[in-house]
Amino acid sequence: MNRPIAANLEIRATKDGDRIACRGCGHALAPAGQPWKRHAVLREMSMNGAGGKAYTGEREALLRQFGCPKCGALLDSEMALPGEPFLDDIVHA
Amino acid sequence: MDPITFSIIRHRLFRVVDEAVITLKHVSGSAITNEGHDLMVSLYRADGSLLMGGVGFLHHLTSAAEACKAIIRRFKGQINEGDVYLLNDPYTAALHTSDIYLVAPIHYEGKLVAWSACFVHVYDIGAMNPGGFSPDSQDIYTEGISSPGLKLVDRGEIRQDVLDTLLNMVRSPEMVTLDIRSMIACNNVAKDRMLALIRKYGYPTVDEACATLIEQSEKLLRARLSELPDGQWQSRQYMDVKGETAKVCLTMTKKADTLTFDFTGSSPQSKYALNCTKWASLGGLFAPLFPLLCYDITWNEGVIRPITMIAPEGTVVNCTRPAPVSVATVGAIQSVNNAACATIGKMLAASEKYRKEATAVWHANHFAVFMFGTNQRGGLAIGILTETFAGAGGARTFADGVDVGGEIPNPISRMANVETMESTFPLRYLFRRRLADSGGPGQYRGGLGMEIALTPHDAPDGGLHYVVSGKGAKYSMSEGLGGGYPGAPNRYVWVHNNESSDKRNIDPSFALSLDEMPGRTEDISWGVFPLMGKDTLYVAWNGGGGFGDPLERDPEQVRVDVDGRFVTREAARKVYGVVTDAKGIVDLAATKSLRQEMRAARIDRRAAE
Repeated sequence: MNRPIAANLEIRATKDGDRIACRGCGHALAPAGQPWKRHAVLREMSMNGAGGKAYTGEREALLRQFGCPKCGALLDSEMALPGEPFLDDIVHA
Repeated sequence: MDPITFSIIRHRLFRVVDEAVITLKHVSGSAITNEGHDLMVSLYRADGSLLMGGVGFLHHLTSAAEACKAIIRRFKGQINEGDVYLLNDPYTAALHTSDIYLVAPIHYEGKLVAWSACFVHVYDIGAMNPGGFSPDSQDIYTEGISSPGLKLVDRGEIRQDVLDTLLNMVRSPEMVTLDIRSMIACNNVAKDRMLALIRKYGYPTVDEACATLIEQSEKLLRARLSELPDGQWQSRQYMDVKGETAKVCLTMTKKADTLTFDFTGSSPQSKYALNCTKWASLGGLFAPLFPLLCYDITWNEGVIRPITMIAPEGTVVNCTRPAPVSVATVGAIQSVNNAACATIGKMLAASEKYRKEATAVWHANHFAVFMFGTNQRGGLAIGILTETFAGAGGARTFADGVDVGGEIPNPISRMANVETMESTFPLRYLFRRRLADSGGPGQYRGGLGMEIALTPHDAPDGGLHYVVSGKGAKYSMSEGLGGGYPGAPNRYVWVHNNESSDKRNIDPSFALSLDEMPGRTEDISWGVFPLMGKDTLYVAWNGGGGFGDPLERDPEQVRVDVDGRFVTREAARKVYGVVTDAKGIVDLAATKSLRQEMRAARIDRRAAE
């Protein structure tokens, strides 16, 4: 049985074991209990202006968006300065 | 013990705290206490462990426990009935010097049976900048009076020599006296009501109920943690001060019925006063933990037991003396609170049962602006713009965040009316309103923050000055959840309306926005600045974080947001992918098409690795 773990992520039982997968299309990203962001598509934009006119902050600060490579669903977002490692969230099955 | 008696005693303990809070507010004369509710009252066991965490700023519940324990250690054998102790040293237990703890032992038939503790942010603490937040300080020695513990009331009698010494070192001593007396009164009421409870049910019964209450809280939290998935969640917060960026890093690990908060990787302590001590970090992580994980569990020592904190020494989250900490409550403590809120939110969102309890981060760019100068009646006025307590709610997994919805660490925070502020200071508000686009976009958006503009009015000295401890202007700090964007950052702008080309003052009175202000604008965030003549101070504060994909937000809801000026038309199209016609009606076909394009554009990217 699939178990949601975030807005657009779930743990899905597959023949290869439990996988972190997109809730929208079922695309498997990584084994459960391991970081998954490296298997998503990454879009980076300046935080300045990212959410509208009130976003007046530092241009160098980035909004990272991790999308499903198959359907384009937005899986997670994080703010980071250039070169920072991804925030790795790991959920065990 | 029988469950009915237990429940009655538990309920009475809540009411003891409530009544003590009311007393505190009735006696205190400062807006920060009465309007902002920057206060806390709690009850502690005889050994200083937390028995009943009260309302107000939740950062203080664990720190005040440590304050009780520090007093027990320092005054061993000298703690008498009727004593009251003062402690405000951040390196002993407090958060920063201006949040003074007054802790009082409660004796029954000559035996120490409990403690009551409270704090208020006093009117002034004698730091180099007025009001307690002291951005110009670069060590603890310039942050005002700092006591690791002194006896202020000895067996029911105020030690006037001690009080006079304290008052001799602060601005506006009459207001600080009132602050201190409000806390003495608060502790007196807490003591009286506790003793009434003990007299009614007997000490053994009350003591057993208190011990059971702590055991119950521990059991309930451990059971809840056991229901949540094991895993690890991370958060990162940036704080900007005068061109420097400090970082708070958190990895929260949940295993079985325990939680570990590890701040390894956080920046070395700063020369600026945004640092915090380890007790403050502990308080910071518990501030969101109490309401998010223990909303139906009594906040006491039992909740603390399953939790471990790792905070490397010499970092912004566990600084060493004499690092300055006066801005800690809106600096590193707030960032610890934000990071803990983010990781707890992600953990809850990973649970089918608790998903509805998850939240994006609330009002993370908490700031402090203290006005000071001569008021319209010729007296000295020092006080905070209570707008900082108005906050902004983070989005939930099923609903938008509440606009101007307060903050997680203080469930009773609020801001004063404009009229109250204008009667306290020689100021006029040009506007105070919700700030469009400030809430983090998402399927459910973050609650909006606000924008205000102030100019001097009826000021005997031609204006006044203000202290800005305003980290949070460069970086969004209210993290989103599940793809939701972080909320907008803060902004502080000094508009120089005294500098027209023909040397005449330009009047900003009828400006409806920052863009319409006639003078030269200067972004500021840290230090002391003038608000003189026709100058204007503009402050905008963050929105809450959003939840989920903005492209999944109901287009009709986006239209409502645009109509209500919560979201601009530009953001509706660019961020939410919603197309409207000239009349503002949603074009569903065009919206569907645009959203498909935007999703496709996401795929047409490189892999994250």
